[in-house]
Amino acid sequence: MFKDLADFAVKYALKKGADYSEARLESTTSNTFILKNGIAEASGFDKINGLGMRIIKNKTLGFASTNDMNKEKIKKLIQNTINTTEKASKLREEINLSEEKANKDKYEVKQKINLNDIGPDEKIKILFDAEKELINTKINIPSRYLSLSDSITTEYLTNSDGTNILATVPKASFFYLLTVEHDGKTSQRIWQYGQSGGFEFVKKWDIPSIVVNEVKALQNNLKFGVKPPKQALDIVAAPQVVGIMVHESGGHPYEADRIIGREGAQAGESFITKEMLGTRIGNKVVNVVDDPLLENSYGFYKYDNEGVKARRKYLIKEGIINEFLQNRKTAYYMGIKSNGSSRSVNYDRESIVRMSNTFMLPGNYTEEELIKDVKLGIYMKNFMEWNIDDKRINQKYVGAESYLIKNGEIKEPVTRPVIEITTPQLYKSIDAVATNMEYHAGNCGKGEPMQPIPVWFGGPSIRLKKIRLGN
Amino acid sequence: MEPEEISSHVLNKLLKAGADDVIVSVSKQESSQIKFSNNLINATKTWENIDLGIFMALKKKIVLTNLKDFSLSAADDVVNKLLKFVKSASPNKEYAGIAKGPFSYKEVENGYDKKIVSLGDNAIDYVGKAINKALESGAKRTAGVFENSVANVSLLTSNDVKASDKGTHSYFSIRAFNNKFASGQKTGFSRIINLLDVEKLAEEAALISKQSLNPEHGKFGKFDVVFETLPFANIIDNLGGAMSAFSVEAGLSCLKNMIGKQVANKKITVIDDGTLKNGFNSSKFDAEGAPTQKNIMVDNGILRTYLHNTSTAKRFNTKTTANAGLLSPEPTNLIVNKGSFSKQELFEQVKNGLYITNVWYTRFQNYNTGDFSTIPRDGIFMIKNGKIGQSIKGIRISENILNLLKNVAAVGKMPERVIGWEVETPVITPAVLVKDVNITRPID
Repeated sequence: MFKDLADFAVKYALKKGADYSEARLESTTSNTFILKNGIAEASGFDKINGLGMRIIKNKTLGFASTNDMNKEKIKKLIQNTINTTEKASKLREEINLSEEKANKDKYEVKQKINLNDIGPDEKIKILFDAEKELINTKINIPSRYLSLSDSITTEYLTNSDGTNILATVPKASFFYLLTVEHDGKTSQRIWQYGQSGGFEFVKKWDIPSIVVNEVKALQNNLKFGVKPPKQALDIVAAPQVVGIMVHESGGHPYEADRIIGREGAQAGESFITKEMLGTRIGNKVVNVVDDPLLENSYGFYKYDNEGVKARRKYLIKEGIINEFLQNRKTAYYMGIKSNGSSRSVNYDRESIVRMSNTFMLPGNYTEEELIKDVKLGIYMKNFMEWNIDDKRINQKYVGAESYLIKNGEIKEPVTRPVIEITTPQLYKSIDAVATNMEYHAGNCGKGEPMQPIPVWFGGPSIRLKKIRLGN
Repeated sequence: MEPEEISSHVLNKLLKAGADDVIVSVSKQESSQIKFSNNLINATKTWENIDLGIFMALKKKIVLTNLKDFSLSAADDVVNKLLKFVKSASPNKEYAGIAKGPFSYKEVENGYDKKIVSLGDNAIDYVGKAINKALESGAKRTAGVFENSVANVSLLTSNDVKASDKGTHSYFSIRAFNNKFASGQKTGFSRIINLLDVEKLAEEAALISKQSLNPEHGKFGKFDVVFETLPFANIIDNLGGAMSAFSVEAGLSCLKNMIGKQVANKKITVIDDGTLKNGFNSSKFDAEGAPTQKNIMVDNGILRTYLHNTSTAKRFNTKTTANAGLLSPEPTNLIVNKGSFSKQELFEQVKNGLYITNVWYTRFQNYNTGDFSTIPRDGIFMIKNGKIGQSIKGIRISENILNLLKNVAAVGKMPERVIGWEVETPVITPAVLVKDVNITRPID
């Protein structure tokens, strides 16, 4: 790595009049393998070496990045950035950062089986094995798209407050899109697995079993699915569904930059205001946290991209709006300390307020107990289509693998039950939370240019009372 | 060492090692962004990027790499890694080669603007003027971005392609707010900065925000909808994705087996034009070096072709449409041919309907069938007896994309140039009227 160059950049910016400077070096190597309908579409590997800088002068923020590690060019880039901040200062938002401890640390996520020790042939073989198992099911699967990726990123963050963090995080992910056909009708599922760590997790996932279970469930639903009932009923939502609900309406609206309006033209704002802290949004059984420190999670980090130590944030505590996700800028604005939620996806993106691993905390019931008390209901194991408005109120989840519940027992499959609900109604209708925790991987979208950032979302199964399904 | 010399060095080494097809591209880009919200500049951003992209086919084994580390030693390392990597890769039996040159190319008209090259800090003045215009026009708050870039691309292939292109790009997006629940958004792009009127966009966004004050909860049911250019561009962008032959093969398209069939109302013609004058994604050549072209995709409602590169075209027994994408063919600039109605005349055809000015979070339930939903945001208005009335909120379009396109009843005559956060492919479209659009909302 070019650590000296990052250290130099921070000092040089100060010399040129910056009040605060920060440099973030990134070195990433990654591999991707794609199998489409049994054909090895392509293999690929990428390499990134780049430097991103944030400079504050006269309370004006400038960001610059380059992948040309030439000292003279970096000097010129810094000078240009300082000139631009001067010009922008007449129209700028006043930037102040919360005072934080200058951390110095070095950490690495350990790999039991190093991703680089596994050859391309062994990686793509896993996809071929999955393809073989899919064909063996004899189910009509006209489209089969499987992709396996891994990366190792080393980041060096340094700033003029004295922060120095060196972090190495390896990650692996598996993505699939499967289309099952039965009697002229099709059904699709797209899902992803992702963790930080080594190849041991790819083995542990057991990819062939994942895809086989998926197509069996899709076929079962196409073959035997009945229309969902029209009357109000109870819904037991399993961890995949709870995970996306919590991410969309229990995580995003708690991002302080949205609340302030900074993402207004892009990912939108939030129905939540600063004044709503301490007010009730859901039942007492609802606890939602964001925690970057979950070991081997897809959203893992020990220090955020401003060097602030990561910690668990209680966004909703016993149904009460408790805390927002903050970076140093939003924290200063709200008169508090950052809680370490500043992330950028690559060296060439400004770090902004992001989720890491957002999930509902477990309750006291088993999933069976949630189901047992339901006279008429739906068990929604997973979902396909979903979306939410840009203030995070009006959301929709369409069940994929779903079943009717009658008199406390899971019965026949039900086709595409639609939950279309507002956020307050959703969290107030949760009456029981189970203990069966699961975490799922995704790439959360925010920022312009877009920064799809790895996260986990999850939770246990929950029960929603008296919901009328949508069309 | 100059980028071209590195490209040639890499190409020769890979061919010597037995590669059948090689494509080496070098792209250099300098870009800037002014990001603003609450009427103030949040940050100024500058990016300098050099990318080296290599595509190699050896005995039908395809390996791609992208390197953001540009030096001769890095290039040598990557060549060695490619050769090692390809040994254990698996063959793509369906691979059918890359475009055969040499070709002659035409310059993109209005594709390069020296004013953008030398724009520098003056971009801040554009943002200042746009914010002021929005405030003068009745907005209380504004947010958005103004981006400008200069790019140079060179391409060298084992099939006698040696080409280069340069371009400038300017993009502006503004969302104007009157309060949290009253907003309007407009976006625009140009390759020539004088042809991008940021103040006009700001004014239009502000007017929508002002008009959309005090929204009431919308109702569910079937409504005739006038789609403003921004939301219709969102629909067309998704259709463009479904047009890629790769999407058709991967299960990501509702257009499978639809060539020659009706996929939209006969009033709809959609063109993909990589040569378009002042087109945001216009270029001299595609990723294989094939000269870009103008392709009629949907001709009076009938699907004529998919988007192809050389390899997908051979699989579909046709010719490339010059839309490579080395793995997946991609749309360039999508154009919806204009019709004959003014916006007022579109409204006048609606007795009881909606006027939707933006949508977001478009998600498919099934790409294969085209079932999707998307959420109107910013100004949404009732249309009663041809007149725009009460603003509404809280609704969702839950539809099928083919059904929606078949229900197009009238096409406007004033196209606009749209690109943005959710419209990744530049789309040039007028407003359209669509009959019987299914509107849903959260159930009480």
